[in-house]
Amino acid sequence: MRPPVEEPAPREEPPPFLGRWGRLYAAVLLYLASLIALFYLFGRLFTP
Amino acid sequence: MRPLDWWILIGSLVLVVVYGLWRSRDSGTVNKYLLAGKTMPWYAMALSIMATQASAITFISTTGQSYVDGMRFVQFYFGLPLAMVILSATAVPIFHRANVYTAYEYLEQRFDAKTRALVSVIFLIQRGLAIGVALYAPAIVLTVLLGWPDRLTTIVMGGLVVLYTTIGGIKAVTWTDVQQMVVMMTGLVAALVTAVWLLPAEVSFLDAVRLAGASGKLNPVVTRLDWNDRYNLWSGLLGGMFLALAYFGCDQSQVQRYLTGRSIAQSRLSLLFNAAAKVPMQFLILFIGTIVFVFYIFERPPLVFQPVELARLENSGAAYRQVAERYEAAFEERREAARGLLEARGKGETSAVAQSLERYREADRDFEAAREEGLRLAREQRNQPGFNDTNYIFLGFVTRYMPAGLVGLVMAAIFAAAMSSISAEINSLATVSVIDIYQRHFRRQASDAHYLKAARLATIFWGAYAVVTAEFGSSLGALIEAVNILGSYFYGGLLGVFVLAFYFKQVTGNGAFYGVLAGEAAIFLVAHLTGISFLWYNVVGCLVVIAVGVGLSRLERAVPGRVQA
Repeated sequence: MRPPVEEPAPREEPPPFLGRWGRLYAAVLLYLASLIALFYLFGRLFTP
Repeated sequence: MRPLDWWILIGSLVLVVVYGLWRSRDSGTVNKYLLAGKTMPWYAMALSIMATQASAITFISTTGQSYVDGMRFVQFYFGLPLAMVILSATAVPIFHRANVYTAYEYLEQRFDAKTRALVSVIFLIQRGLAIGVALYAPAIVLTVLLGWPDRLTTIVMGGLVVLYTTIGGIKAVTWTDVQQMVVMMTGLVAALVTAVWLLPAEVSFLDAVRLAGASGKLNPVVTRLDWNDRYNLWSGLLGGMFLALAYFGCDQSQVQRYLTGRSIAQSRLSLLFNAAAKVPMQFLILFIGTIVFVFYIFERPPLVFQPVELARLENSGAAYRQVAERYEAAFEERREAARGLLEARGKGETSAVAQSLERYREADRDFEAAREEGLRLAREQRNQPGFNDTNYIFLGFVTRYMPAGLVGLVMAAIFAAAMSSISAEINSLATVSVIDIYQRHFRRQASDAHYLKAARLATIFWGAYAVVTAEFGSSLGALIEAVNILGSYFYGGLLGVFVLAFYFKQVTGNGAFYGVLAGEAAIFLVAHLTGISFLWYNVVGCLVVIAVGVGLSRLERAVPGRVQA
């Protein structure tokens, strides 16, 4: 049976936006914090 | 279901299966059959990952859970984006560079053969237990809708999934997942729009949201830390992160999705897309359940949503009639109190609003108490203390109130969700059985064609196994929790050994092996001796594996020959 990859070891590419992976990760974490804040406000706003 | 519903359901099933088989027509080697030749684009992997995770249980049980318990279950997913970032930065490049078919193959490269075998067997047990539940959930749909026996439904569903998974391998699984995800999202949006549209004319969307809030259902963020509370912000962030790390980082059914990526970047993007989309999607599903709850404030819901149990109750005599009368009165009172509350809000009189709110809350409590009394009667009759009807709430609403065509669409979404999860699980179980067990321990040097045939046979075996174990689904409670609890018994150990492999360079094979055993033992002890929420099991198990693994490895180096496998 052949090994799973027949080409040379995969290379690291930059993400398609924000330039570096670290920046993209930070954007995801910021997005999560914003979602939690929005959900919290949503609950507070409509719960008397 | 009406003819139009059947056309939509059958049409979508046929379309998805045929498309998946067409896209997978070139799967004639083990590499292509199990890893799609490492050619998959990020968006296909991303949708496949999401579709694999979103089972029929997600639709059926989560909406019902929101009806009963509010939206706080969404917190369970808060740790997922954190896990996606960690896995993108660590596991994805490691697995890609290791050139492996399975995550467990990497453990032999890093530790030894016995650790790989132990973790592979844990995966097979854990996934094998869960797959029956995943197949049983859609069987409930047809039992409720058509009165088909559970067994026949699971055979038909399982057979269809086995057909395209066996023929097309992971390419068929991934491309059908993409289609199934589209069907699911369409079904979800249609369900929400219809639920809002079915509200009484005098109740606006904002009124519905306010009533849900007054009923305590809008609780998507609970900041109070309580170790025994399943869903709060902290258990979601930390416990949810550990569970997601284990599921996406150590569970072959997910790892295999992003191993098919054509590059590290493509695999990373697929996980990060999931990080962005999963929490809003779960919020949407829970919100549908909340709107269904508000709908039932104005339309009397059945005392028990499980129709067979309800019919049995109705024939049970005086005890039922007493509860039913109380339930009817409580429903009327709650409906009037809700109307009073909306009216007071419309007038904008603060004291009247406060008074109406108090009346509504009291009526809601009375109504819930009457419903609980009905459930208690059903439990007594059935002689099953754990019985609940959560899984029937959303389906009951769909079949009773949604218009022709949309019922078929929602059913298609539920079937799509079920099939996408089951196909991925069967595919990964077959992969681990062949690569980590059969090839590694029974037949090391055989041709590619031999292993391809073995993979196809293993797929058929696991499909048959899923159908047989689905028989146990009927004895479980709220299905989604059952699956998550089952996962949490094993995931802590799996996560711990991969953390050792990635981050603790000094840990030996013996340290990892006995660390996993100690971690699993700790989880079972904690589960049986304490009342802490199952979300914390992963944390406990993972920490014990790390502690024992590191400790034993140090001991082994200090006293060579003392620790023997």
